[in-house]
Amino acid sequence: ITKFNFSGYHKPDEKTLQGLKDVANKLRILSIKATCASNSGHPTSCCSMAELMSVLFFNTMRYKVEDPRNQCNDRFVLSKGHAAPILYAVWAEAGYLKESDLLNLRKIDSDLEGHPTPKLQFVDMATGSLGQGLGAACGMAYTGKHFDKSSYRVYCMLGDGECAEGSVWEAMAFASHYKLDNLVAVIDVNRLGQSEPTSLQHDMETYRKRCEAFGWNTYVVDGHDVEELCKAFWQAQQVKGKPTCIVAKTLKGKGLKDIEDNLNWHGKAIPKDRAEALLKELEALIQVPNKTLCPELPKDDAAPADLSPILLPSPPAYKKGEKVAPRRAYGVALTRLGQSNQRVVALDGDTKNSTFAETFKKAFPDRYIECFIAEQNMVGVAMGCATRDRTVAFASTFSAFLSRAYDQIRMGAVSQTNVNLVGSHCGVSIGEDGPSQMALEDLAMFRAIPTCTVFYPSDAVSTERAVELSANTKGMCFIRTSRPESEVIYSPDEKFEVGVAKVVRQSDKDHVTVIGAGVTLHEALAAADMLASEGKNIRVIDPFTIKPLDASTILASARATGGRIITVEDHYKEGGLGEAVLSAVGEEPGIVVTRIAVTSVPRSGKPQELMDLYGISAKHIANAVPGLVMNC
Amino acid sequence: MEDYHKPDQQTVQALRNIATRLRINSIKATTAAGSGHPTSCCSVAEIMSVLFFHTMKYRPEDPRNPNNDRFILSKGHAAPVLYAAWAETGYLKESELLNLRKVDSILEGHPVPKQQFVDVATGSLGQGLGAACGMAYTGKYFDKASYRVFCLLGDGEMSEGSVWEAMAFASYYQLDNLVAILDINRLAQSDPAPLQHHVEKYQRRCEAFGWHSIIVDGHSVEELCKVLSQPRHQPLAVIAKTIKGKGIPAAEDKMGWHGKPLPKDMADSVMKEMQSRIVSCNKRIYPAPPNEDASPVSLRNIRMPSAPSYKPGDKIATRKAYGMALAKLGRYNDHVVALDGDTKNSTFSELFKNEHPNRYVECYIAEQNMVSVAIGCAVRDRNVVFASTFATFFSRAYDQLRMAAISESNINLCGSHCGVSIGEDGPSQMGLEDLAMFRAIPTATVFYPSDGVSTEKAVELAANTKGLCFIRTSRPENNVIYNCNEDFHVGQAKVVYKTNDDHVTVIGAGVTLHEALAAAEQLKKERISIRVIDPFTIKPLDSKTIIDNARATRGRIITVEDHYYEGGLGEAVCSAVVNETGFTVQRLAVSQVPRSGKPNELLRIFGIDRDAITQAVRKVLSNSANAK
Ligand SMILES: Cc1ncc(C[n+]2csc(CCOP(=O)(O)OP(=O)(O)O)c2C)c(N)n1
Ligand SMILES: Cc1ncc(C[n+]2csc(CCOP(=O)(O)OP(=O)(O)O)c2C)c(N)n1
Repeated sequence: ITKFNFSGYHKPDEKTLQGLKDVANKLRILSIKATCASNSGHPTSCCSMAELMSVLFFNTMRYKVEDPRNQCNDRFVLSKGHAAPILYAVWAEAGYLKESDLLNLRKIDSDLEGHPTPKLQFVDMATGSLGQGLGAACGMAYTGKHFDKSSYRVYCMLGDGECAEGSVWEAMAFASHYKLDNLVAVIDVNRLGQSEPTSLQHDMETYRKRCEAFGWNTYVVDGHDVEELCKAFWQAQQVKGKPTCIVAKTLKGKGLKDIEDNLNWHGKAIPKDRAEALLKELEALIQVPNKTLCPELPKDDAAPADLSPILLPSPPAYKKGEKVAPRRAYGVALTRLGQSNQRVVALDGDTKNSTFAETFKKAFPDRYIECFIAEQNMVGVAMGCATRDRTVAFASTFSAFLSRAYDQIRMGAVSQTNVNLVGSHCGVSIGEDGPSQMALEDLAMFRAIPTCTVFYPSDAVSTERAVELSANTKGMCFIRTSRPESEVIYSPDEKFEVGVAKVVRQSDKDHVTVIGAGVTLHEALAAADMLASEGKNIRVIDPFTIKPLDASTILASARATGGRIITVEDHYKEGGLGEAVLSAVGEEPGIVVTRIAVTSVPRSGKPQELMDLYGISAKHIANAVPGLVMNC
Repeated sequence: MEDYHKPDQQTVQALRNIATRLRINSIKATTAAGSGHPTSCCSVAEIMSVLFFHTMKYRPEDPRNPNNDRFILSKGHAAPVLYAAWAETGYLKESELLNLRKVDSILEGHPVPKQQFVDVATGSLGQGLGAACGMAYTGKYFDKASYRVFCLLGDGEMSEGSVWEAMAFASYYQLDNLVAILDINRLAQSDPAPLQHHVEKYQRRCEAFGWHSIIVDGHSVEELCKVLSQPRHQPLAVIAKTIKGKGIPAAEDKMGWHGKPLPKDMADSVMKEMQSRIVSCNKRIYPAPPNEDASPVSLRNIRMPSAPSYKPGDKIATRKAYGMALAKLGRYNDHVVALDGDTKNSTFSELFKNEHPNRYVECYIAEQNMVSVAIGCAVRDRNVVFASTFATFFSRAYDQLRMAAISESNINLCGSHCGVSIGEDGPSQMGLEDLAMFRAIPTATVFYPSDGVSTEKAVELAANTKGLCFIRTSRPENNVIYNCNEDFHVGQAKVVYKTNDDHVTVIGAGVTLHEALAAAEQLKKERISIRVIDPFTIKPLDSKTIIDNARATRGRIITVEDHYYEGGLGEAVCSAVVNETGFTVQRLAVSQVPRSGKPNELLRIFGIDRDAITQAVRKVLSNSANAK
């Protein structure tokens, strides 16, 4: 069915082919044993891909078994993460894991979790939420080809049911657009999903058409024929200018009598009473039980990661009082950081002229990746770029559209990623475009990511420092930038740290502590001016990072202002600055917090009109000060 | 094409004139607003003209009539041309167009359902086609009516994976009443779209995804009339090659004009030139009226036929109780429909499918599209829709959910497998941010039932509650704790454990409510009595019950939740009690990315089990003893 060009191809000898078949059956056996031991897991999803794994790991890929995270190794991403047992089995077969360890699958004290995580050296990206592996693989392949300029190749294994996820097709389009000929996707077309057959069942021609239409070199193969697989993967290495997709026709539960190709076996361990007989049958197929195959070594052509700190070349060049939008300051900051360090790369999803990632692109076109209007894939690619510390990646779009990638972001925490995400156009203060473009839940989103540091800078100087700190902070970082221009309030030599707030206005007799960020910090300062003209003083705090939040500065200020706090935010009331402050002071008696936030779906209008309408402008802050009603 | 009647020359000219007026009005409105996307409107002027005045059948004076053909502007930033079209039909006053984007006009920057002619809000790209699929599915399979569904997309927008989820869905279900028009104007916002003007590549992609696909000149009224009149047996993709900014000489096919209004003087001269191209013709064209074959539907009073039939002490997982409740609700209410994304045997929506196969829509592994289809099924109050998957996979559709609030959608979502209590599958499958997600949706009601009875009540209440409803269900089996005649209301908590001398109020939900009850039993042996509250809905939260009871326990509250610390039950409670003097809230929640293990092991190591609660209670009491 598939036409190969065999010139230059050396067919593996019979012994090797038999060895690969034997390995495949060993992988089946190990997958079944492990899932039987844990009494849960997905043995049938493993069995369909046993030959694919065998050929990839023992014939095609080049890597150092004892050093799975070596920068020169070929990469492998198991996008269908529920097939983890066979991934663990293959690393046992390669000699990196002990075979006996496999029986600890899913146990509380084992790193062999239900789905792969980077606690394991041979896992770069956590998987288990389907449809995310290929985007990350694209990021790795892009990095290999364009940044590392090295020969490692990237392989990604997908399920057929999984291909219903749009994120897969975002990645397909990306890979062909950027001609990632170092990328191979394998689709394990085993006909079945979780609760019923997939929509395309074994319609191999439709898979072929879709992959080809998305610009991929595509081979439809018998996924259980090791010889055909060896050829196809070899052929894929020869192809220039296109990624290759191996569409493998397989059977779910292959090799398991009365289970093979049957419904209702997804995610079920084989019952103990049946396992024994099935294992015997598989064992009988193995001709040479001893290890005979070992993978080839990679070329040593990728330099070790440079882990030195990344610093701005000079202090920010803004003057106090100058008006600059934080989103614009982001572009300048990233460009300056890019001058200091080659590893800094930027991504955006066709909003670069709004987020100001464009500033970076203009300075460093070779280190900018246009991801087009596909936010899930952008985040996936960024995470892929950041694996093995190859790059320090910053990806930006409107903050509202990062919600499109929330599953990827959530998984980013499981992946221990260090990616930096930048969301512009937060809140109602964007004005006329209306609610579809306003991020009002982004703080809630990112605060609920355990590994995330959340920056919310309020002027150009602090934005620049936020970018610098992000580049050096482990875990995910999120920077929330605002659209309106606002005054520079810090001097260029002001020092910023994660988790350290700034008291930006204070006196000896402040009535209340007001905490604002971004536009609302400036509204709070305006309120302070209004109140001061009536002889009332308020203290104003810029939290700088919303997570971690500087509880001690906030508490100390609150105590100095009679326990009274007002929070004001351009965000919904749930999960944002206000609730972060409540959490920080919740166990302290005697503190009263008034929260001002957006409480309903907003609308179009001018920024100032909307801040008034939704109650987060200076006059509302002034009115919220206890014992004071302003007439404005 | 034998039975295709070419429109006469008069009609063609009238359609061209309309297209020109749509351009003029789009330019005029955006220049008046000082912002907006005139060039994105100009590329679709002929398409809009032909759709609204030749192809679609609808009642212009009653845009939301159930019989009307539907139109979804997926490229929502082209709102001005949509408004212009409705002005052209006479539904809007032309003068109103000049109030575009003003704070007191309904003509917002992007379409919203405040406008009767908008069913779903758009503006976040790539979401329209999924909703259109839901409407087309409803038309074909539920309403069995003849209305058709038209969706207009941008080419840049085609990079969104959600579009391809919808493409696959539409062909799988043979939605021959659905038409997508792709405005291939080569340019997007900051760069050309990746496929530029390679219309044949779009065609190959659409065909591969099972659509009948035809390339046309998107500025040819004749070609558009013809292609849109074709009978078909598949969904149809009209791949319209167009020019961005068509009719604005300085901006045609040029970069740098996206999202920019024309300066006043430029607008004036362009409009003048356009005006001069309008050839007077006597023919005034009206849209054809629709067939009256979509029967009226009432979604009021969707009630359970009988009380729940659980007995206190029975063991059932709330996820299973969800499936049973939904199947039961469906038994007596024909407009209840269910969707799932290939997890129906985990969420138990399968029980609904088994009983009502014709009202179940399998959406496969494509959560974004599932939510969009659900939204589409629920528009114009055609159905009461429940969509389910693992709670954590709703994060895949968070943008769609955010937009659902703007769309004023009444969909109901059920997320199973919340928290670490799912056990061995590990963190990728655990919903630990779903409460944060759904609480931050202004129109959402968040149910978190803790047993079979309250789950059944939650399903019934969700069916009748406006706005978006989310029901969080758990994987482990737990005791039924309520009697079948117990009454439940949105925003009403239950005190489930109480004495006259309680020292601390503990608030838990789902598995942690049961842990709290176990902790209460344990503490009783130590002669420490605690009060235990089941909030039932996390949003709205019953502040009064919480405050009244906590006051009886000297303001001492402990919250415990199978969720991350941020944005969940604990913060909801903090919000509710913040200004009560003397209250303190101690929160127990999951503080880091969890791992695989047995449910009970995980509850223990992440500090949300009965022992963690008893310890926290003792600590709170010893702290306050020390304070005295
Ligand atoms: C985003 C997402 N949605 C749903 C699931 C639940 N789920 C796990 S495996 C599976 C079926 C996968 O089918 P397929 O991709 O064909 O893989 P197979 O096991 O058949 O190889 C589903 C629906 C998931 N893990 N991630
Ligand atoms: C999900 C999402 N991402 C990004 C944007 C920002 N945005 C608005 S319009 C636009 C370009 C759209 O290009 P295209 O679909 O080709 O439409 P055109 O205006 O060219 O007709 C972008 C990136 C958005 N509105 N939604």
